[in-house]
Amino acid sequence: MAAWFAGSREGAADVDIRGARFDAVTGTWGEERVLVTREMTRRAIGKPIRKLGNPVIAFSPDERLWLFYVSVSVGGWAGSAVNAMVSDDLGVTWSKPRQLVTTPFVNISTLVRSAPVFHEDGSIGVPVYHEFLGKFPEYLYLDAQGRVVDKFRIADGTNSLQPTVVPLDGKRAVALLRHAGREGHVLATVTEDAGRTWQPEWPVAPWNPNTSLAAVRSGSGSLLVAQNNLLDGRFNLSLDEATNNLTEWSLVASLDASPDPDGKPFPRVRYEELMRKKFLDSSGTSRQQLLTGYLREIDQRMCHDGMCDFEYEYPYMIRATDGRYHLVYAWNNSFIKHVAFNDAWLEAQL
Amino acid sequence: MIPISVQSCLSFALLVFLLLPSGRLPQRYRALLLIGVLLVGMVPLPGGLSLAGYLRGLTDELSITAMLWLLAGAALRLGWTGGRSASATWQLWSVFAVLGVVLYPASMGVGMLDTYSWGYSPRSLIVLIGALTLALLLLGNWLGVFMLTLATLAFTLDIKASENYWDYLIDPFVALFAIAMLLGNAVGAMRRWRRGALTPVPQLDDGLD
Repeated sequence: MAAWFAGSREGAADVDIRGARFDAVTGTWGEERVLVTREMTRRAIGKPIRKLGNPVIAFSPDERLWLFYVSVSVGGWAGSAVNAMVSDDLGVTWSKPRQLVTTPFVNISTLVRSAPVFHEDGSIGVPVYHEFLGKFPEYLYLDAQGRVVDKFRIADGTNSLQPTVVPLDGKRAVALLRHAGREGHVLATVTEDAGRTWQPEWPVAPWNPNTSLAAVRSGSGSLLVAQNNLLDGRFNLSLDEATNNLTEWSLVASLDASPDPDGKPFPRVRYEELMRKKFLDSSGTSRQQLLTGYLREIDQRMCHDGMCDFEYEYPYMIRATDGRYHLVYAWNNSFIKHVAFNDAWLEAQL
Repeated sequence: MIPISVQSCLSFALLVFLLLPSGRLPQRYRALLLIGVLLVGMVPLPGGLSLAGYLRGLTDELSITAMLWLLAGAALRLGWTGGRSASATWQLWSVFAVLGVVLYPASMGVGMLDTYSWGYSPRSLIVLIGALTLALLLLGNWLGVFMLTLATLAFTLDIKASENYWDYLIDPFVALFAIAMLLGNAVGAMRRWRRGALTPVPQLDDGLD
C-alpha cells in the first residue's frame, strides 16, 4: 500500500491523505481512496486543523499497518504535529487519528517524512525533524501501541532535516539527511546504539539541492539511495549505491529525468508533447484519461510564464520481504509513480 | 459537536475569567461570570468545534501547574483565598523561570542536549523536583508545593496524552509568564533603587552635638 497527500496545491484546505493498494500478483494498483481528511483529524483530536501533509505508511512485523502524517493547527509547516493511525486489517479499516506529543512548545514543529524502523523489541523508531527555530532531525521511540516513550537528537542546528534511517544490524544504523540550504551535499551520520546517540553529521559525495531522499539496504549489504543528486532543481531522480561507510558511491540508474540534461524549462507546447510521451511510456494508454485531466491543470503546477519544468521528488523506498524493492515518488507534482526492481536488475545495472 | 477534554474547557474558562476586568463586580457575580464563561467555551460553533477547542489549537493542553496557577488566581479573584506574600510569588516565578530556561532552548535545538528527553525516563527529574518541592515546603510556599506535587501525581496517574513528565510540570505560557514577571519586577526594583540612590539623603549637621 502507498500513501500520499493530494489536493489543489500543497497546504490547501482540500488536501487529504490518500492511498492505494498494490496487487503484487497482478502488478496493478487498486483505486485511489481517501484515508484521512482534515475534518476527520479535527474531530478526532479536538483542534482546528488548517492543513495536512507528509504521510508515511509502513507495515510492522506484527502485521499492522501504521500511518503517520502531519497536521497544522496554526501557522505554516513549522507548526506541524505528527498524527498516527493504525490498521489491523491491512488498511481496510483504520483507527481514529491520535496526535503524538513530541515537543514541549505547544506540541509544534515535529514532522515526519521517511520510513520508520521496526525494532526487534516491538518498539518503533520514527525519524522526524523540526523546522521551527532550527532545522534538525530526531529519532522518536514509540512503543508497540504507538505512544512516544523516548526521543533522541540526530543532529542540531539549522541545516538538516528529513532523516532517512537504514539499519545495518541490531544496534548500528546510518541516517542520511536532506541538506537544508543551497548548494550542499547529502549529510550523513551513524548510530552504534540503536539511535540513542549519533555521530556528528558530515557531508558525503552526492549533491543535495535541499531535497528529500530515501534509502534502503540492498541484498548485497550496500545502501541504495534514491535522490536528486544535483546542484539545483529536482529534474533528475537517480538511484545510487553506496558502501556502508558512505565513502564510495556509484550511479545505478537514472530513474526519471528531464529531456534537457541541465533541467532547463520547456515552452508549454513542447512540454506537453514530452510529458504525454513520458506518461504513456510508463503508464500505458489505459490511463490516458488521467493525463488529459493533468494537462488541464499544468499551468498552476509546473509552468510559469509559459515555461514548464520537470520535477521528480520525494522518493519513498522499501525492500519487501520477497526481496523486491519498491520505490514511489512524486511525478511532476501530479502523479505518484511506482518503480519496482529486484537484485538481478540491480546487478545488471552495475 | 466535537468533544474536547475537560481540561481544555477549564483552561478556556479560567483564562478568559482572569483576563476579563471583573474587579468592579461584586464577588458573588464573579462566580456566575466564571460559570458563564465555562458554558460559553463549551458551546459548539458552526463546524462543531467550541471556543475552548479553538483555544486548544493555539495552546495545546496546558500543564498541570498552569491549571493550578490559574485556579489559584481564580480563587483569589473570587475572594476564596487571600493574596500570597511577595516572597512566595517571587519564589514561584523563579522556579518556573529556571525550569523554562533549562527546558525550552535545549528542546528547540540549541545543541545536541535535549532536556525534554529527560522527561521520558524521569527518575532524576522527579528527584530534582522533589528536592525543589521540599525547599518550597521549608519556605512555607504552599501553592508551589501543591503545584509540583499534583503535577507529579498526575504524571504517575498518566492523565494527559503526553508520556513526558515535563508536559505536566511546565508549558511555554507558564515559563514566559514567570520570566516576564521576574524581569518586569526586577527592572522596577532596579529603577526604584536608582531613584532612591540618586535622591539626596538628608545630612546631619556637622555641629550637632
